Amino acid sequence: MILSLLILTPFLCAVSVLLPVRRMFRVWMLCAAAVAHNAVVVSFWFRLPPAEWNGYLVLDPLGLIVLSIVSFLFLFVSVFGIGYFEHEQRLNRTFMTCLLLLLSTMTLVTVSYHMGLLWVAVETTTLFSAPLISFHRSRGSLEATWKYLLVCSVGIALALMGTFFLAIAAHDVRTLLLPSLLSAAPLLSVNWLKLSVIFLLVGYGCKMGLAPMHSWKPEAYGQATGMAVVLMAGGLTQCAFLAILRVSQICFKTGLSDFFSSILILTGVLSLVVPAIFILAEKNVKRSFSYSSIEHMGILALGLGLGGVGIFGALFHMINNALAKVVMFLTAGSIAQKYGSSRVDDVRGLIKTYPVTGLFLIVALLAGTGMFPFATFHSELMVLNAAVISGHYVLSGVAVLCLAVMFIGVSRIVLEMVHGQPTEPLLAKKENPFMNVAIAAAAVALVGLGLWMPQPLERVLREAAALLGA
Amino acid sequence: MTTWIDASCILIVFFALSILATSRIVGMIQIFVLQSFVLSLMPLFLHANAISAHDLLLSFGTMLLKAALVPFVLFWAIRHISMRSEVKPLIGLGSSIVCGALLIAGAFWVSLSLRLPGRPETDLGLPCSLATVLLGFMIMVTRTRAVTQVIGYLVIENGIFLFAVSLFDAMPTLIELGILLDIFVAVFIMAIVLNHINEEFEQNSDIASQSKMGETF
Repeated sequence: MILSLLILTPFLCAVSVLLPVRRMFRVWMLCAAAVAHNAVVVSFWFRLPPAEWNGYLVLDPLGLIVLSIVSFLFLFVSVFGIGYFEHEQRLNRTFMTCLLLLLSTMTLVTVSYHMGLLWVAVETTTLFSAPLISFHRSRGSLEATWKYLLVCSVGIALALMGTFFLAIAAHDVRTLLLPSLLSAAPLLSVNWLKLSVIFLLVGYGCKMGLAPMHSWKPEAYGQATGMAVVLMAGGLTQCAFLAILRVSQICFKTGLSDFFSSILILTGVLSLVVPAIFILAEKNVKRSFSYSSIEHMGILALGLGLGGVGIFGALFHMINNALAKVVMFLTAGSIAQKYGSSRVDDVRGLIKTYPVTGLFLIVALLAGTGMFPFATFHSELMVLNAAVISGHYVLSGVAVLCLAVMFIGVSRIVLEMVHGQPTEPLLAKKENPFMNVAIAAAAVALVGLGLWMPQPLERVLREAAALLGA
Repeated sequence: MTTWIDASCILIVFFALSILATSRIVGMIQIFVLQSFVLSLMPLFLHANAISAHDLLLSFGTMLLKAALVPFVLFWAIRHISMRSEVKPLIGLGSSIVCGALLIAGAFWVSLSLRLPGRPETDLGLPCSLATVLLGFMIMVTRTRAVTQVIGYLVIENGIFLFAVSLFDAMPTLIELGILLDIFVAVFIMAIVLNHINEEFEQNSDIASQSKMGETF
C-alpha cells in the first residue's frame, strides 16, 4: 500500500498543478510533495516496506539507495525552485507537471521488480523529462529536446528488444519477475541471455549517457535549466544505472559475470577518455559539467565492471555523484538566471559581483572533479583501488590521466568565470537565500559523507553490494 | 491458421519496405496504419483456436493506439507544420529499396543461427521482426525530416512488437498495454515538440537558419 501511495501521490499532485492555479502555488506544491516523499523514504531506512502488487513492487537495498537519491534531489530542487521562480516569470505549468510526474515515475523505477515493468517505467521517465529541457523554448533548447527524445527513445527501444530476448532466455521460467529469474538462473539459455545483455546494456547505457551513446548529453544539459539538469544528471542516469544493476544481478547468478564485466569496463574506459578529449575545447560551463557527468557515469560502469571493492565504490559514487550534481548544476542554473548565459565570454568576475555564487562555483569544481574532502574523492579512489587490486594497471593509469585532464579542463573554465575581469550581469538579480541554501546543504552533505560514513548507510551499501556479488 | 500468420509476418516486412520506398510523408503514414492494423490482428491469428480476453485486449489496444491514435497525432502534426510533403532521402529511392532488400536478406540469414526454445507457431516471426527493426533504422537514418524520423522509430517499435506477440506470451497484459501506451505518449510528445520547433522557426524566420533546421535535423 505504502509503495503504491508513494507513486500515486506525486501523480495526483501533478494533476492538481495542471489546473489554472497561481504560479507560486505550483512551486509550493512541488515542495510539499518532495517533503512528504522524503519523510516516507527516510522511514524506509528503519524498516523496508512489504512487497506489493504480487511482488511487482519491491524495495530492496539497491532500490532504496536510488530512491533516497531521487527523493533528496527533489528536496534540494524544490527548495531551489522557490527562489528560482520568484525571478522567473515564464509560465511553469508544463514544467511543474512534468517534474511531479518525473518524481512519480522515478519512484516506480526504483521499486520495479519485473524487467518489463522496469522498462515501462524507465521509458516514461524519458518522456516526462523531455519537456523539461525545452522550458526556455529557445531554438537551441528545442533542438536539444528533439535530440534527447529521439536518441533516448531509440536507445530504450533497444532495451525493450533486450527485455524480450531475456524473456526468450527465461522461456522455462515463464516470468520476468526478478526473484524467479534469480532463483531459476541455471535454467536460463546462455546464448539468448548474452544477446539480451548486450541489448539491455546499449539501451539503458544510452539513457545513462555512457560513451559512445552520450551524444545527447552536452546538448540537453547545456540547454535545460539547472533544476531539470540536476534531476536528469543525478536522478535519471542513476535510475538507468539501477536497470543495469538489475541485469548485473542476473548475470552474477548465471555465471556470466566475466562477459558482463568486460563490456562494462570497455564502455567505462570510453566514457572516461571521450569527455577528456572534448572538455578541452569547451567554452560553456554547463556543457563542461555535462562532460564531467559522462565521466562520472564511466566511473560507475568501471566500478561495477571491476567487481569487489569497485562495486561498493560504484554504489557509494552514485550517492556522491548525485550530490555533486546538485552543487554543480544548481550553481550553473543560478548563474544562467543572473547573466542569461553560461558561457565564459559572458560570465566573468563572479567573485566580485556575486561572492556567494562565485564561491559555490569553486566548490562545484572541487566536488565535481573529486577533490578531498568531498566524498566523490573517496568513491573514485575505491574504484581506482579496485582496478589496481584486480591487476588492471594500465587501466588505472589511463583513468587517473583522464581524471586529471578533466580537472584541468573544468578548472580552466571555472577559474576564468570566477576570477576574470568582471562583466555586467545581463539580468542583474540579487542573490536568493532559498537558492543558496539548497546548494550549500548539498555541499555540506557531500563534505560530511567525505569525512564520516554513517552506520546505516554503510550497512545498506554492503547489503546492496552483496546482491551484486561483492 | 499458419498461412495467415506467415502472410501477416511477410506483409509487415513488405509494408516496412514500402514506407522506405515512398516519397510522400502522408503516404508513409498511411502505409504505417496498414502495417499496424495487420500487426494488431496477429494475437488473434496466433491463438485462433482459443482466443482469450488477453488476446482480445492486446489486439484491440494495438489497433486503437497504433492504427488510430498515433496516425491521428502524426496527421495533426503535419497539418500544423508548414512543410513540403516530399521526403528528402539522403540516398535515392531505388538504392534505398536495394539496401532494404539486403537488410531483409541479412535478417533472415542471422535468424538461421538463432535457435528458439519451445515450439513457436511460425518460423517467420523472428526473421520478419528483425527485418522490420532494421528497415525502421534505415528509415530513421536515411530520411532527414523530423516527421520521417518519428515514423522510422514507430516502424522499429512495430518490429519489436511483432517479435513479442509472435514468439511467446511471457509479459502480463498490463505491462504489454503499458508498453503500447508509452509509445503513444512518446509520439504525442514528439508531435508537440515538433509543433514548438515549427512555431519558433516561424517567429524568427531568417531564411538561412530555417532551411538549416526548420525541416531537417
